[in-house]
Amino acid sequence: MSKSSASIETMPGSASGNHARGWLAASGADYLLAAVLFALPFLIGGSWTFALGICFANSIGVLAVSVLVRYGGEVSIGHSFFAAVGAYAVAILDTRYGLSLVASLPLALVLGTVCGVAFAWPSRKLSGIYLAVSTMALALAVPELINNADWLTGGYEGLYVSQSVIPGVEASLQRYYAGLLALIAVVYGLRRLRHSRQGLTLLLAKQHPAAADAFGTRQVWARIAVMGISGGIGGVCGAILAFAGSTVSPSSFTFWTSIFLLVGSVVSFYGLSLTRALVGGAFLTLVPQFLSASGAWIPVLYGLALLGMILIGHYLPRIRSFLFASKGGA
Amino acid sequence: MDGTANALTGRGLALSFGGIEVLKGLDVEFRAGEITGLIGPNGAGKTSLFNCLTGAYRPQKGAITYLGHALDGLSPAARAGKGIVRSFQHVALSPDLSVLENVMIGVARNYHAGWLHAFLPTRRGTDEMAAMRAAAEGALSELGLAGLEHKLPSELPPGMLRLVEIARAIVGQPAVLLLDEPAAGLNNSETRDLMRTLRKLATSDLVMVVVEHDMDLVMSICDRIYVLNFGAIVACGSPQEVRANQEVVRIYLGDDDD
Amino acid sequence: MSDGLGNILLDLFPLMWSGMITGCLYALGALGLVMIFKSSQVVNFSHGNVAGFAAFLIYGFSSGVLLNLSWGVAVLLAMIAVVAIAFLIYAVISPLVFESELTATISTLGFGLIAQGATLLIFGADIVNLDLPIPRFSMSFLGLFITGYDLTVLAVAVVTIGTLFFVVDYTKLGIAFRAISENPFAAEVCGLNLRSIHLFSWIVAAILGVVGALLIVPTTFLSVTTVAAFMLQAFAAAVIGGFASLPGSLVGGILIGILMNLFTFYVSAEFTSTFLLVLILLALNVFPNGILARAGGSRV
Repeated sequence: MSKSSASIETMPGSASGNHARGWLAASGADYLLAAVLFALPFLIGGSWTFALGICFANSIGVLAVSVLVRYGGEVSIGHSFFAAVGAYAVAILDTRYGLSLVASLPLALVLGTVCGVAFAWPSRKLSGIYLAVSTMALALAVPELINNADWLTGGYEGLYVSQSVIPGVEASLQRYYAGLLALIAVVYGLRRLRHSRQGLTLLLAKQHPAAADAFGTRQVWARIAVMGISGGIGGVCGAILAFAGSTVSPSSFTFWTSIFLLVGSVVSFYGLSLTRALVGGAFLTLVPQFLSASGAWIPVLYGLALLGMILIGHYLPRIRSFLFASKGGA
Repeated sequence: MDGTANALTGRGLALSFGGIEVLKGLDVEFRAGEITGLIGPNGAGKTSLFNCLTGAYRPQKGAITYLGHALDGLSPAARAGKGIVRSFQHVALSPDLSVLENVMIGVARNYHAGWLHAFLPTRRGTDEMAAMRAAAEGALSELGLAGLEHKLPSELPPGMLRLVEIARAIVGQPAVLLLDEPAAGLNNSETRDLMRTLRKLATSDLVMVVVEHDMDLVMSICDRIYVLNFGAIVACGSPQEVRANQEVVRIYLGDDDD
Repeated sequence: MSDGLGNILLDLFPLMWSGMITGCLYALGALGLVMIFKSSQVVNFSHGNVAGFAAFLIYGFSSGVLLNLSWGVAVLLAMIAVVAIAFLIYAVISPLVFESELTATISTLGFGLIAQGATLLIFGADIVNLDLPIPRFSMSFLGLFITGYDLTVLAVAVVTIGTLFFVVDYTKLGIAFRAISENPFAAEVCGLNLRSIHLFSWIVAAILGVVGALLIVPTTFLSVTTVAAFMLQAFAAAVIGGFASLPGSLVGGILIGILMNLFTFYVSAEFTSTFLLVLILLALNVFPNGILARAGGSRV
C-alpha cells in the first residue's frame, strides 16, 4: 500500500540546504508585497480590484494544497470539495440568515476543518497515489451533491452573496480587502505553525513516521491533523471566493477546480510564503483573464506550466551545479 | 526484588515474520541505574528486540513490563509518553528542520499546548517553545554540538547526525533510553566523548540499553551485557564474564567482520 | 409476493447484463491504468483525455473534418498517433519516474490538460457522433435483449483482454513486465531494461484506452469530456481491483459496471459520483490490496 513513499518535493534545490530553509522563511519580499497590495486599490481600476480579490482566494486555495504537500507529503486533487463547503457556508448564511462574512468565515474555517478530518479518518491508512485517487473521487462527487441539494444550495443556478462586512464601505473595496486580510492571516498562521510544536512533529512525521511515533506523535494523528488544516484553509478559500466573486455555483467547484489548485501549488513550488502563494493564485486567476478570448488555450497552458515547473524542479539542481561549476572554473 | 521493580523486562518474547523466527522466546531485564549492552552478529535480532520494546513490532508471544506495568498493546506513541525513548540505527531526522528543531521534537511529548497556540502568538505557546528550545540547547551542548543549532541535517557529516539523534533521545529526560548503534559513523574522539556523555547520563533511575558493534565502547561503559545470536540469548553478565564466555568468543570469531 | 420477486428478477437480469457489457469497457480502461501502475508505480491521469483525443482523431479522419478516410484506416492512424503520444509522454516523464512516482503522477495531469486543450482547439466544444461500423442486430435470449453492439463489445473485450493476458503470461516481454512489477531493482540487476518495459506498458495502455473509448462512445456521443468521464469509472474499477492486479481490474470493471447499473436503477440516478466515491473509499479501506488479494496464484 505504501509503496510510493518517495518525497514529491522535487522542487528547486531541495537537495541543497539553503532551500529547505527558504521554503517558509519570512522574507522582505513578503512585507513589501503586502504593503503594495494594501495600497493597490487606490492606484488601479475596478476590474483589476475584482480580479485581485479572486486571486487572493485562489492563493489561499493554493496554500491549502501546498500545506498538504509540505506537512503531509501528500497530493490532493480534491480540494474543490473543501472550497465548496466554505463557499456555500458563506452563501447560505448570507441568503438565508442575512449574516455577513464576519460570521460565516469562521464557520467556513470550522466546516472545512471538520470535513478535512472527516475525510482523513476513513482514508487515514492511505498515502501517495491511493490518497490522490480518493481525493479525486471526492472532487467528482461535489457538483452532483450541490446540484441535488438545490433546496439549500440553489442548485445549478447557485446563490448570490450580497451582505457587506462594513456597511457603507464600497463593495469592491470590501471584497478586495477581505481577501487580502484572509490571505495574510493564513500565511501568518502557517508561519506560526512552522515554528510550533505541532508543526515540528508533523514535519518529522512526514519524513520518518516511525521516528515521530517513537517520540509520541501517532501517524494517524499527523495525517488527520494535516488534512484538517488543509481542509480548513480550503474552506477559507471557498469563503473568500464566494465573497470576492459575490456568487457561488456548482460550476466553480468541479474536478477541474481541484486540478487547477494543484497546478497553482506546483507553479508556486509548493511555497507557503505570501509571495509564493500569490504567484500560484495569480497564475490561476490572470491566465484565464488574458486568454478569455480563447478558452481552449487555458488547459493547454496550465498543462504546460505544470509540466514545465515540475521539469524545472527536476533539472534545476543539475543546472545550478553546472553553472556553479563553470563559475568556479572561471 | 531489587532492580526488577524499576526495570524494563521482557519475558518469553517471540517474534516471527512469515515463518522466520527473529526472536525465539527470550527473557531480558534491563535495570535502572545500569547501562545494558546488547551485542551479537548482524541479524541476531537486536533491532527487532528494540522494536518490540518500543511497540513498533508486536511480538507474537511474551510480555513486556516496565515498573511492573504491562506495556503490551500500547502504541509506540503511548510508550514514548511513559518515557521510553529510542535512537535509530538509520538516522531519522527531518531534513526540513534545523538541528535545534529536530532535537526539540524529543521534548515535545512533555508539552501540551493546543492548536490555537500553534497558530496564534499566545503567551503559553511562546513560553512552551522557549522552554523546548532551552532544553534542546542544553542537550546539544551536552553532546558537544553547541554552535550547530541552526544547521540543517544536510549540512552535517553522518557522525554529527548520529549525535543529534542521541541528543533528541536524551533531551526529554527519558526513563528508558534505547540507543541503536550510537557510535556508528563516529570517529575515535567522538566515540570517547559519547562514552563519557553516556556514563554521565546513567543516573540511578534511568534504564539505558545500547546496541553497539564497537566492542571497546560496550565493554567499557556497560554494567551488563546480553549476547544475542539467531534470536536467542547465548550469554548474559558483566563485561568480564561475557569476555570469558567461550560461546561468545566462538560467535565472534566465526563472524569477525566487526 | 412471489410476483414482486419475479419482477425484480425480470429487471435484475437485463440490468446485470448491460452492466457487465459496460463493465468490460471499464475493465479495458482500468487494465491500461494498471499496466502502467504495475510497471512504473505511476497513475496515469492523462489516460482518459488522451483516449478521448484519439476518439476525436478517428472522428476527424473519417468524417471529413480533417481527412476523409475509411473507418478502419482512421482507427489505424489514430492508434499510431496515440502510440506516438504515449511515447512522448513517457519520454518526458521517465526521468521523474525514477525520482518520485508521485511527481510523475502529477505531471500526467499536465498531459491530460494538454490533451484536453488540444481536443478543444482542433475539434471545438461541440458534440459529435462516432458510431461503430457494425450491423444493426438484436435478439431476445432468456428474457435478455441482446444487441449487436453488446456482442461486439463482449467479443472485442474478450479478444483484447485474452491477448493481453497471453502476452503478459507467456511472451518474453510479458515475463519481463511481470518481473519488473514484482521487483524493479532485482529485475534491473538481472539485466532487464526498465525503460523499455515501462514504454511497453504505456503503449499497450494507450491502445487499450482507444479500444475502450471507441466502444463506449456509441452508447452516448462524443464530447471533450465523455471519454475522460468514462475513464473515471475505470479508475474506480482499477482501485477495486487493487490497482496492481490485471485480473483484479477485470473483475473490478465488471463489478463497477453492474453495481452502477443497479444503483442507478434502484436507488438514484443523481448520486452516481457520490456512489463511486463511497465505493472507492470502501474498496481502499476494506480491500487495500484489491478484491482478489487473497485469491492469489495468478501470474498476471
